[in-house]
Amino acid sequence: MSTEKQQPAGNGRDAENLLSVRGLQVHFPIKKGILVDRVVGHVKAVDGVDLDVAKGTTYGLVGESGCGKSTLGRAILRLIEPTAGTISFDGVDVRAQRGEDMRRLRRRMQMVFQDPLASLDPRQSVESVLTEPLRTHGYGNGKADHAKRVRELLDVVGLPANAAGRYPHEFSGGQRQRVGIARALALSPDLIIADEPVSALDVSIQAQIVNLLEELQEQLGLTYIVVAHDLAVVRHVSDTIGVMYLGALVEESPSDDLYAEPLHPYTIALMSAIPIPDPKVEERRERILLTGDLPSPANTPPGCRFHTRCPFRQPKRCADELPALREIRPGRKVACHYAEDIAAGHIRPAESVHDPAATEVGTPTVVAS
Amino acid sequence: MSLLDVRDLSIVFSRRGRRDVRAVDEVTFSVAAGETVGLVGESGCGKSVTSLAIMGLLPKRGAAVGGSIKFDGTELTSLPADKMRGLRGRDIAMVFQDPMTSLNPVIPIGLQVTEVLRRHRDMDAAAASKEAASLLERVGIPDPARRLKEYPHQLSGGMRQRALIAMALACKPRLLIADEPTTALDVTIQAQILELLKELVVDSGTALVMITHDLGVVAGMCDSVHVMYSGRIVERASRWELFEAPRHPYTAGLLASVPRLDQARGEKLEPIPGSPRDTIPWTQGCAFAPRCRNRIESCTQGAPELVADKLRPDHDLRCFNPIDVAEQEAVTL
Ligand SMILES: Nc1ncnc2c1ncn2[C@@H]1O[C@H](COP(=O)(O)OP(=O)(O)OP(=O)(O)O)[C@@H](O)[C@H]1O
Ligand SMILES: Nc1ncnc2c1ncn2[C@@H]1O[C@H](COP(=O)(O)OP(=O)(O)O)[C@@H](O)[C@H]1O
Ligand code: SF4
Ligand code: SF4
Ligand SMILES: [Mg+2]
Ligand SMILES: [Mg+2]
Repeated sequence: MSTEKQQPAGNGRDAENLLSVRGLQVHFPIKKGILVDRVVGHVKAVDGVDLDVAKGTTYGLVGESGCGKSTLGRAILRLIEPTAGTISFDGVDVRAQRGEDMRRLRRRMQMVFQDPLASLDPRQSVESVLTEPLRTHGYGNGKADHAKRVRELLDVVGLPANAAGRYPHEFSGGQRQRVGIARALALSPDLIIADEPVSALDVSIQAQIVNLLEELQEQLGLTYIVVAHDLAVVRHVSDTIGVMYLGALVEESPSDDLYAEPLHPYTIALMSAIPIPDPKVEERRERILLTGDLPSPANTPPGCRFHTRCPFRQPKRCADELPALREIRPGRKVACHYAEDIAAGHIRPAESVHDPAATEVGTPTVVAS
Repeated sequence: MSLLDVRDLSIVFSRRGRRDVRAVDEVTFSVAAGETVGLVGESGCGKSVTSLAIMGLLPKRGAAVGGSIKFDGTELTSLPADKMRGLRGRDIAMVFQDPMTSLNPVIPIGLQVTEVLRRHRDMDAAAASKEAASLLERVGIPDPARRLKEYPHQLSGGMRQRALIAMALACKPRLLIADEPTTALDVTIQAQILELLKELVVDSGTALVMITHDLGVVAGMCDSVHVMYSGRIVERASRWELFEAPRHPYTAGLLASVPRLDQARGEKLEPIPGSPRDTIPWTQGCAFAPRCRNRIESCTQGAPELVADKLRPDHDLRCFNPIDVAEQEAVTL
C-alpha cells in the first residue's frame, strides 16, 4: 500500500518485509534471596519467535492472557530488552543500534496502548501530549510548526481542532484512544504496534477505532502489529495472524483461512470457544473444551508446549519432542507433529484425555451443543 | 409462573451537592425456573445496579429503589435485612465480574466453600469438605484436594472465577445472577464456564440472569434478551428474533459494529456514531436520539414507551421509528 517510502532493504533480505524477527527471546529472571538476589529460574515470556511483517500489512497476534503477546510487542521496540534473537527493521539491525541511532529509529516505530487514559498524563493538555514527541525529536522549526502539526494530527484522527486545549478526562474512551493514536502518529512512523487498542472500549466505539486504524493504514501506508485477545477483531484487521501459546507461535496463517480451517489443536479449540453473535450458528457448533489453565511460563512443559491440554495428543513424540513451526502448505505454518493427520481427519479429539504425570492438566472434552 | 418478577424498577442515586442520578428506570422483566434471561448493553447502562438491587446489595443511604422485585411471590424491596441475608446465598446467588470482590482473601478457598455448605445445607464438616472437593472438580479445577487449601491469590483469575461459581453452585440456588462472569477471562476458560452455567440451568432448573456486553454469549444461551440503553430497556425479544431481525436502532447498531469470525472479512464495520456520553435525559426524548440514524422529529419531543411491537408477537420495543422489517418476513416468522 505504501509506495513513496519503499526502498530495497538490501542485505539479500526479502525487500517486502518491513520487519523480520528471528529467534526472539525474553526471559525474565526469577529472583530469590535475603541478602543477595539469587536467580532461581526464568519466566520464559517469549521463547524463540520468528516472524516477518510485510510493508503496509497488518500482523495480528492472538493468544491467552499471559502467553507473551505484549512482551513480544514491547521487545520488538526494545521497550524491553530481548534476551536473545535478532530484529531487523527496514534492513537495520535494531538490537545493534545505540544512543542517537536508536532514538532516530524509534521515531519510525511507535506503540498504541490498551488503556487510553492510563497512558495519557491527566495534567497534560492534548496539545502538550502531542507536542512532546515533536519537541524531543526536534520536529520542524519551533512552535508554529508544532502547532500546525498538532492540528494536522487531530484532523487525521477525527478530533475537532479545539480538542488541543482540553484534558484527557474531558474525553470519552474512544476519543482518548484517538489521542493515543494521534500521539503515535506524531513523528510519521512506519510501524505501529497496537496492544489491545480496542479492548477497553465499549462495543459501539470499538468499530470506530478499528475503522480509523484501517483508514490511516490506507492513507499513510502504515504497517501494523495488532495484539489482542479478541479474535474477531484481530481477524477483521489483520492480513496474517500468529497464534501464541506459552511464549511461542504455534500457528501462523493468512487471516481468512484461520477460522475456516485452523490447523493447530490449540487454534482449533480457541476458534471453537469464541461465541458468535448468531443463535443459529451457536446452536450447531461443536465446542472443544479445554480444561486446566495455561501452565506457568516459568515451568513450560517439555516436548510440545500444548501437550498437557491437547485433546489430540498422541502417545509418541508429543510429550518429549518440541515441534518446530513448519510450513505445511503455502502460507500455513503450524507447530504440531501431527498437523497433517489432524487436518485430514485421521486423528480425532479424545473424548477424555488424562495425563496423571502432568499436574496442571485437566480433562479435555468435546461438547456438541 | 415466573420465579423472579421485576416491575417498574427505578434506582436513583443521590448525593448531597449533586444532582440525582436516575441510573435505572421503568425496568420490567421476569425469569422462570430453568430459564436464562439476558441483560445486555454498554458500560454504565444500569445492568450491575439492577442486579445489586435484586440482591439487596445497594447502599442503604443514597440509593432509592422504586418499583417492585418479587422473588417467588415475596417482595424483596421491603424485606428486612436479616430475611434478605437468609435468601442470599441459599435461594439467590450472584457471580461477579471480579471474583476477588466476593472471595475473602485471608480464608482458604476450601473453607469458604464448606462454610456455605454448612450454613445453607446443614452439612457437617466431613460431608461439607467432601462435597466441596466434588464441586471444585465439577467446575473443572484440577487437583481439587490441593486447591481447597489455597488462598484466593494463589489461584489464577479463571480458577478464582470457577471457585466462585462452585460456591454459587454449593447452595443450589433457585436464582443465579451472573454479572459479566466471563468478561475478565480467556475465551477457552469462558467456554468452560458458560457450559457449566448451562448445565446448572438444565440440571437444577435454576433461573439465570445473564448480564453481559458480549452479544455472542447472549446468542448462545439466553432464552430472552433485554437490551438496555441509558437505564431503560429498549428492546426485548427471544434471542432468535433479536439476532435475526433487530428492530431497535441501538440493537441493530450494536450488531453491525461487531466483526464476525464466521463471515467474510473486508467489509467495513458500521459503528454507532458518537459515544454513550452523547445521551439526552429520557425526560427530553429518546436517550439514544443524538446517535440514532432513524431519528425523526418526535424522538426529541417526548420519550418513547416500551410497548409490544406491532409487527411481531412477544417482542417489545421502545422506539418511535424502528428498523423496518419486511412485512412478509414478519408474517413468516
Ligand atoms: N517484568 C516482568 N517480570 C517477570 N515476569 C513478567 C514481566 N513482564 C511479564 N512477565 C510475565 O511474562 C508472561 C507474559 O506476559 P505478557 O504481559 O506478555 O502477557 P500477555 O499475553 O500480554 O497477557 P495479557 O493479555 O494478560 O496482557 C506472563 O507470565 C507475565 O507474568
Ligand atoms: N454508588 C453509585 N453512586 C452514584 N452513581 C452510581 C453508583 N453506582 C452506579 N452508578 C451509576 O449508575 C449507572 C449504571 O451503573 P452500572 O449498573 O454499574 O453500569 P453497568 O451497566 O456497566 O454495570 C452509571 O451511570 C453509574 O455511574
Ligand atoms: S504435537 Fe501433539 S500435543 Fe502438540 S499440538 Fe500436536 S498433537 Fe497436540
Ligand atoms: S425513538 Fe427515535 S431516536 Fe430513539 S431509537 Fe427510536 S428512532 Fe432512534
Ligand atoms: Mg497484554
Ligand atoms: Mg457492570
